[in-house]
Amino acid sequence: MKNKKRRMCLFLSGLMASVMMMSGCGGTGSKDGKIEIELVQYKPEAVEIFERLEEEFNRTHDKIHLTIESPNDAMTILKTRLIREDYPDIIGIGGEINYSYFVQSDILADVSDYPGLASIKPAYVEILEGLEFVPTEGTFGVPYVANAAGVLYNREMFKEHGWEIPVTWDELIALCEEIKGAGIQPLYFGFKDTWTCLAPWNALAVDLAPADVCRQVNRGETNFTKEYREIAVKTLKLLQYGQEGPFAYGYNDACTAFANGEAAMFTIGSYAVPQIKSVNPDMDIDSFVMPGNDVAEKNILNSGVDLQFCVMKECENKEAAYEVLDFLLAHDSVQMYLDDQNAVPCKDEEFELAPILDGMKSYITEGKMADYQDHYYPSEMSVDAQIQTFLINQDVDAFLEKFDKDWLRYNRDIIRMVEDYQKRHGSD
Amino acid sequence: MKENGKVKEKVNWPITILLMMGLITIVFPLYMAIVIAFKQPSDMTNSISGILSLPKSWSLANFAEAMRVTDFWRSLFNSFLITIVNLVISIAVHSVIGYAVGRNKAGSKFYNFVYLYIVSGMFVPFAILMMPLVKQTAQLGIANVAGVIICYVVFYMPMNMLLYSGYLVNIPVALEEAARVDGASTWRTYWSIIFPIMKPMHATVAVLTALGTWNDVMTPLVIMSGGGMNTLPLAQMTFQTQFGTNYNLAFASYLLALIPILIFYLFCQKQILNGVVNGAVK
Amino acid sequence: MKKMNDRERTYLVMTLPILALFFCFNTLPLIKGFVYSFTNFKGYGSYDWVGLRNYVDLFQDVRVGKSYLFTIKMAVVSTLVVNVLSLVLALGLNSKIKFKSTLRGLYFIPNILGALVVGYIFNYFFTYILPAVFKMMGGPGTSMLASTRWAWVAIVAVCAWQSVAMNTIIYISGIQTVPADVYEAGAIDGATGWFKFRTLTFPLILPFFSINMVLCMKNFLMVFDQIVALTKGGPAQSTESISYLIYNNGMSGGQFGFQSANAVVFFVLIVILSVAQMTFSGKKEEQL
Repeated sequence: MKNKKRRMCLFLSGLMASVMMMSGCGGTGSKDGKIEIELVQYKPEAVEIFERLEEEFNRTHDKIHLTIESPNDAMTILKTRLIREDYPDIIGIGGEINYSYFVQSDILADVSDYPGLASIKPAYVEILEGLEFVPTEGTFGVPYVANAAGVLYNREMFKEHGWEIPVTWDELIALCEEIKGAGIQPLYFGFKDTWTCLAPWNALAVDLAPADVCRQVNRGETNFTKEYREIAVKTLKLLQYGQEGPFAYGYNDACTAFANGEAAMFTIGSYAVPQIKSVNPDMDIDSFVMPGNDVAEKNILNSGVDLQFCVMKECENKEAAYEVLDFLLAHDSVQMYLDDQNAVPCKDEEFELAPILDGMKSYITEGKMADYQDHYYPSEMSVDAQIQTFLINQDVDAFLEKFDKDWLRYNRDIIRMVEDYQKRHGSD
Repeated sequence: MKENGKVKEKVNWPITILLMMGLITIVFPLYMAIVIAFKQPSDMTNSISGILSLPKSWSLANFAEAMRVTDFWRSLFNSFLITIVNLVISIAVHSVIGYAVGRNKAGSKFYNFVYLYIVSGMFVPFAILMMPLVKQTAQLGIANVAGVIICYVVFYMPMNMLLYSGYLVNIPVALEEAARVDGASTWRTYWSIIFPIMKPMHATVAVLTALGTWNDVMTPLVIMSGGGMNTLPLAQMTFQTQFGTNYNLAFASYLLALIPILIFYLFCQKQILNGVVNGAVK
Repeated sequence: MKKMNDRERTYLVMTLPILALFFCFNTLPLIKGFVYSFTNFKGYGSYDWVGLRNYVDLFQDVRVGKSYLFTIKMAVVSTLVVNVLSLVLALGLNSKIKFKSTLRGLYFIPNILGALVVGYIFNYFFTYILPAVFKMMGGPGTSMLASTRWAWVAIVAVCAWQSVAMNTIIYISGIQTVPADVYEAGAIDGATGWFKFRTLTFPLILPFFSINMVLCMKNFLMVFDQIVALTKGGPAQSTESISYLIYNNGMSGGQFGFQSANAVVFFVLIVILSVAQMTFSGKKEEQL
């Protein structure tokens, strides 16, 4: 019996030891004296390009070892890690409300001393500044690429039928009717994934609402019922040109359907192209700016910082982190990324733009762009799901009323902060 | 089962046939998963017959690719490690507490309190512990496999203690007393006499705990996600986006995640069924 | 006397460390969760005390209210469906049939499979297979998961598919405890079919019925995996379960404090329901 017990103890301690070993592996210790830099980026569709960049970096650098993580549902994972106080060194996130929270929570390092920042187009740095709830001293992110959202279309199909690119809202609707008349599905939606509801919404919102409408509301100057009505009505209008049961299919399904020529157009951003091309590599896709207005000149391209790199305050070796940023911002790396992801560079240099951006190029060069409205929406308000609900129930008034009510509730702390700031600094 | 009827009853064929037809509901989803897992995206036409027909060739390519994408062996290893270590610790720890409490709660207010206190843990939903536990395990530096195991040991304690102390009622105290007269310590008595006697209950506890931990998603998800560590089900979730619309690949991966437990069930069916019944009825 | 003390000490040595462990990973987080529920903590960074604001908000929050209604509706319906189905199945599997043990074995399979993966498989089934079948029969070819009316039914179906097995097994063992002479006596009185079941079998397996009700209800109230795999709370937030909402908004939505308050309320609900259910079924059993 005693023997049995001893064996049991041995077995147990063996198991415990292996557990300890396993847990040891989890930490980011330095491997053979190299400095470890961990980057977590939130774009799962860019996994492959980041794998290539990671490999390339580690091949060319002996002193630093870079690990890039691209988890699914990265924001949840990232926030869980923040809750755990298990900070990566660099995070690659979008210029959206989470960035605002991170700035406010004081967990990002000031990177205004990073020399590479000078090569970034100032417009994008300004977009990031606009995202701060209240003006905060310092720069907290290095914009990497921007994206552009509007309408993607099947160029071959358009050529074949002689369809013209619409520049006003009425033309768009007429086009949809014409496509429908030709027996083709005009649009395809992936509204089962709620975030895709935001794509047409955002594209229309930049055309039809002031760019800083959220901040105006926070200052108590206007409300959404007034500003968003037209957007809501027009988004709803688009729904009738989508496939049957748009809420049954997700983003992936929609990309596949569009790639297979099941629809002529797809209201989504340039970021969807890699996914579409993975299904149909030879597809000829172009894009145009969502024509939300009745006057063509008033239309604005929906473009925002799609990916930026922020160095965390907890990062032990800022020099090494900057070296990683240098590598990522090198001309070849950026071009590699652009080719793969059809993105718009934030760096002020000549790059080759993907052909799918042809229809938007003039807006990009002229700078006729405005940031995504949803970058200002608090994530717990789940505006995407609210829009989905609205598109299902089709009740414009109820939706707008709820939007205004929820906005005040979810932004209560922010609004108070803005008020405090205004009191202290005088109204601007 | 019992053949003690006076008249030997006839086989009830209508019910047998009905039950066999009912099996379609069980088999169909699995059939669908298998068929899709073996096909290539190009074999998938839009009609149902296209989806559900047998694949043209039984290629394992999807499985190989799925293994690569989800880092299958590592996830499998993690799942195994968590389940087995948790089992061993749970059986050792829970039987001890079940014994200590079960033998004393009748005569002692303290042990009665301990009993009720731990049992009341059954009512605590994971949702309320989740967020504080994430912080706590991280602060203790165990936001990893070890932390997950500790959580499981605690979560399963109420039920398992209940099972053990309930079982103990059937074991006469006289057995221990005899050993004690021979001069054995309480620990010795426990390990040499009580622990082996509780064997049937160990089996029950093992089955219930193992099934629960093997398939659990939420605990490892919040405690250790993002650390590059996955369990088998967690890997399915983590790599969901990378499957894209390649449902064939995804289904191959789902099947891979299901196979280990299916194999285990094939061999230990009787023990599992008995264990489940014992646990629930007690 | 000394020997007694020794024994008592050993018992204490056994109990105290385990008790401490239990306290640290069950009671302590529970208390912490309670404390967080009075803050506007996002999970990281700094936070303020907000008093009862989270609780006040909680009872006015439509989304939270909807998630409670959905979860309770789902749990009640699933519990009923599962118990009816598994009773029928148990009666069938317990009658004189061929391949008895094989059939039992096969019917138990869904229960050992992981809910998440099963959910993914059914997701495909509901999105592609079922609409195609409907279409062939001349119905609308849309997915149940996309409809605010039907998505919860799909979730109930998947939950039931997995849970029936477990309850069936428990009912079978319950039916086997019914002594054969009860039936014999019943047969003399002419009890057959439904009447036999209602008057003889069911009262005798009532304890098993209440076990099953309790088990089911508790599991379904905490439903999470199926939601993640099937709908992610959609469409139109119509299938957000309480656990899902707490996880989703608490961890990634920056509502750590608010969702802690939600979790506290959820905890209270579970305790009340469990106690009610136990006293209720306890009384029922006494009556018989």
